[in-house]
This record gives sequence, C-alpha cells and structure tokens, in this order.
Amino acid sequence: MARLIWRVAPWAVVLALAAAWEIFAASGAVTPFMLPRLSVVLERIRADGASGELWQNLAYTLYRSFAGFFIAGALGIPLGILIGRNRAVRWLFDPLISVGFPMPKIAFLPIVTLWLGFHDVSKITMVVLDASFPVVTAAIAGTMSVERELLWSARNCGARGAALLREVVLPAALPQIFTGLQVALPIALIVAIVAEMKMGGVGLGGAMITATRFADSPGVFAGIVEIAVAGYVLVKLMAVLRRRLLLWHPEALAPATV
Amino acid sequence: MIQIEGVSHTYRTTDGRDIPALEGVSLEVREREFIALLGPSGCGKSTLLYLIGGFLPIASGSVRVHGTPVTGPGPDRGVVFQHFALFPWKTVLGNVLYGLEKLGVPRDVREKRAREFIDMVGLTGFEESYPSHLSGGMKQRAALARTLAIDPKVLLMDEPFGALDAQTRSLMQAELLAIWHRSPKTVIFVTHDVQEAVYLAQRVFVMSARPGKIKAVVETSFERSDPHIFKSKAFVDKVDEIWGLVRDEAMKAQKGRPF
Ligand SMILES: Nc1ncnc2c1ncn2[C@@H]1O[C@H](COP(=O)(O)OP(=O)(O)O)[C@@H](O)[C@H]1O
Ligand SMILES: [Mg+2]
Repeated sequence: MARLIWRVAPWAVVLALAAAWEIFAASGAVTPFMLPRLSVVLERIRADGASGELWQNLAYTLYRSFAGFFIAGALGIPLGILIGRNRAVRWLFDPLISVGFPMPKIAFLPIVTLWLGFHDVSKITMVVLDASFPVVTAAIAGTMSVERELLWSARNCGARGAALLREVVLPAALPQIFTGLQVALPIALIVAIVAEMKMGGVGLGGAMITATRFADSPGVFAGIVEIAVAGYVLVKLMAVLRRRLLLWHPEALAPATV
Repeated sequence: MIQIEGVSHTYRTTDGRDIPALEGVSLEVREREFIALLGPSGCGKSTLLYLIGGFLPIASGSVRVHGTPVTGPGPDRGVVFQHFALFPWKTVLGNVLYGLEKLGVPRDVREKRAREFIDMVGLTGFEESYPSHLSGGMKQRAALARTLAIDPKVLLMDEPFGALDAQTRSLMQAELLAIWHRSPKTVIFVTHDVQEAVYLAQRVFVMSARPGKIKAVVETSFERSDPHIFKSKAFVDKVDEIWGLVRDEAMKAQKGRPF
C-alpha cells in the first residue's frame, strides 16, 4: 500500500499542477493570449500530431540531439580515458577543460554560424560543444578512480595498452561515465532546441519561434509541453538503460537524475 | 626460489614528502616453501609484495624469482590482493576465465579449468554471481580461484583473510593448506596475525616497524594434521615467542601515530 502511494505520488503532483493551470487560465485572471487553457494546448498538440507536424518537428530535434550526443560520447569517452591515464595529455587538456566547461558555449553560436551556416551541421556542432564536457569530465574522474589492484590483476595476466583500457579501465569507469552521459543527454536536447530557436528551421524550438512570430500563444505553450515530455522520456530511458547495463553494480538504481 | 637483496622503497607523496617504506630488506624463500611475512600495520608488507609482483619499480636492491630479475608483473607470480580486486562487472566464472583467456588457453580447455578451480574453492553454484552479490569469504574464494587457475609458481597473498570473520577465516586457512599440499607452490603470505602466520607457514619473517626491515626469521614447522594444534604447547610457545618479537614493533608503530 505504502509502496503504491510512493509510485503514484509524483503523478499526483503533475496532475495537480495541470489542474491548477486549467483552473487558473479559465478563471479570467489572465487573458487566453497570455496563458491559454491546458485543454486548448493539449488539443493543439493532438491536432499537430494528427497533421504530422509534431512528429516532423520532434524527429528533427531528436535527430540533432542524438547526433550531437553520440558524437560527444564517441569523442568524450576515449578522450576522457586518455586524459585520465596519461599525465602529458592531462597537462595539455586540463586548462582547456577548466576554461571551456564553465563557459557558456552558446557564445560560440555566431562563430559556428559564420563557419558552418544555418543548417544541421552547425546545430549539431553546438550540441557537441556543450554535451562533451560532462562526458569528458566524468570519464576522467572515472578513469582516475579505477583501483590500481584491478589494473594490476589484469596486467598480471599479460593485459597491456589498449586491451587494458578496453577490458579494465572502461568497464571499471563505466558507472561514472554513464552518469556523465545521463547529464549530457538533457543538455543535448536543450542545446538543440536553443540552437533551433536562434537559427530557425524545422524542429520543436524552431516551431516555437514561428508560433511566437504569429502571436500563436497555444502553439508556444504546446512547444513547452512537448519539450517537457520529450525530456522526461529521454531521462527515464537513460535510467532504464543504466540499470540494464550496470546490472553488476551494487547501486544499479542510482543516480536516476529525476 | 625467490632472492631479495638489499631492497629499499620510498614513496613520494603528492605534496612532495618522502616516506621510506622499506629499508634494506634481504630474504630468501626456497622452492615450494610457504613463508609468512609478519609485521605491524604500515611496516611495508604490501610494498614488499608489490615489488616481488613487479607492480612497483625496484629503485634499489634486487628481486629475483627463479634467478630472473623482476622487471614487471607476470603470470609466474599470482597475487591475491587484500581487497580481492575482483572485476565487479564480471561474474565469478568471468573473473576466473579472464586470466586464462589472456594467457591464450584454448576456449574449451579454459571453461573446464575455470569450473574446476571454482569447485576447488567451494563456489560451485555461484559461477554466474557478480562479486557484489557475494559475501567477503566468497569473494576471497573467487579471488583465490582466479589466481590459482593461471597456475603460478609463486603465490603472493596480501592479508587475504584479514577482512573475514573468525570462523570463515579458520576454514579458509585450513583449505589453503590443503590446496598447498595438493599442489605445492612457493607462497609468500602477508599477515599481521601471529597465530595465522605460525599455523600456515614453515618460516615466519618478522618485520620491524616502518621503514620495514627483516627483524627475525623463525622456523615454525608443525604436524598440522593435528586438529588440536592450536592448543598444543609447541604451538602456543611459538606464538608467544613471535608475539614477543612483534609486540615491540607494534608499539613503535603506534608511537609514530598522531593519537
Ligand atoms: N602510495 C603511497 N604513497 C605514500 N605512502 C604510502 C603509499 N603506499 C603506502 N605508503 C606508506 O608506506 C608504508 C608501508 O605501507 P604498506 O606496504 O601498505 O604497509 P603494510 O602492508 O605493512 O600495512 C605505510 O606507512 C604507508 O602509509
Ligand atoms: Mg598492507
């Protein structure tokens, strides 16, 4: 019984918020232009879904997010492991990371636009720029905290070089690396949407800007709800994937980043 | 045979201080001999073991195993680490298989051999368990199986039973002796437990407080099949004798501590 309550409690909060939105918007305290009723927004999402527009926008935004996310992972994990294992590489990259991480990468948007134009390449580049940092830093931390006895056990049987990295360092650091990926994925989504808003074109962010331009208030709020749902689903999927991938880990449940 | 001559080791901390861990250690272990390295915590026992294992660089002195100077780790020297060092992402079977795979044992042979050793340490039925799901004693058994499976000539054990409860520990001690009798290897067994050292080893090397030196070597050969060995006068006297040697060092080691 108590367990059931804990399971439904988060949904109850969401429902209460939805109800509050509906009631407040219908009360007349604000104009429908400033805050359309939730039912109107949901109806709009349904209509966009029926016409296919929603799926097209979603597909573009997810494509850019995932493309950037995967590139960030493919570059960030090996780079982080290398930095964590090799002092010379660490000296080389440490200042870059220290300066680059706290920097708002959106500041590079004008340059990226100048170099790469308005299309997918520059949007994905922006995603990569932002999403790599949590992956790299997590991979460094994970690599540096691998117990030396684990490495020694493997070296004792003749594991060396790349095999040692692949067979011992990577799996040992995986819990931390995955935490970095769990941080990076929502960032990828956020940056993809911001880039779309700035650069225009098809996509959830682009559609919101277009709706604003046409003073289409339900369209703007529909975008907000769609992004919230998309983000929620992505975060949950990552948590499920983590549990499956790290079955061996004593804390296979944490951190879910909800 | 293991020959250690004038080995010293100094650690450099991250803030640049030098910590002498070993100073001029010399000892010789005979082929298929079971020796114990006994000394207070922090006297450099693990350091000495790591040097023999080839995990730390030998800066001064020399370590030879079967006449060959140690330059790095190798499967001729199997190590059982104090905290097991099992690969947590591999099952018990996966852990035992890893070394065999690395050593190029053919697929069908290594599966059979891995199961044999898992059986030998009494872990049958837990082949597919992950280390995080095992008790301390079972983890240590798995680690022992993993090391024995690669059939090293020399077995280096770093307080392998230190983390186990008293019952499991005496069980594991008896099993280790049984295994050693079945396939004698040269064993260097690190411990700070006098009774354990006297029970297991043929000779006990007592180390001084940090920086570690060999303070005394005591012969400890008993008829170990006697189930009441722990109560026999010869055993108790030997423990007393060695305890006397260790106590001074333990007190010295304590004095060096802040509280
Ligand atoms: N990586 C290290 N850096 C600095 N000091 C160390 C390091 N490892 C061990 N020491 C120090 O060296 C001494 C010997 O350590 P160790 O060989 O682990 O002792 P034991 O195994 O006998 O307890 C201890 O005083 C310990 O604090
Ligand atoms: Mg130790």
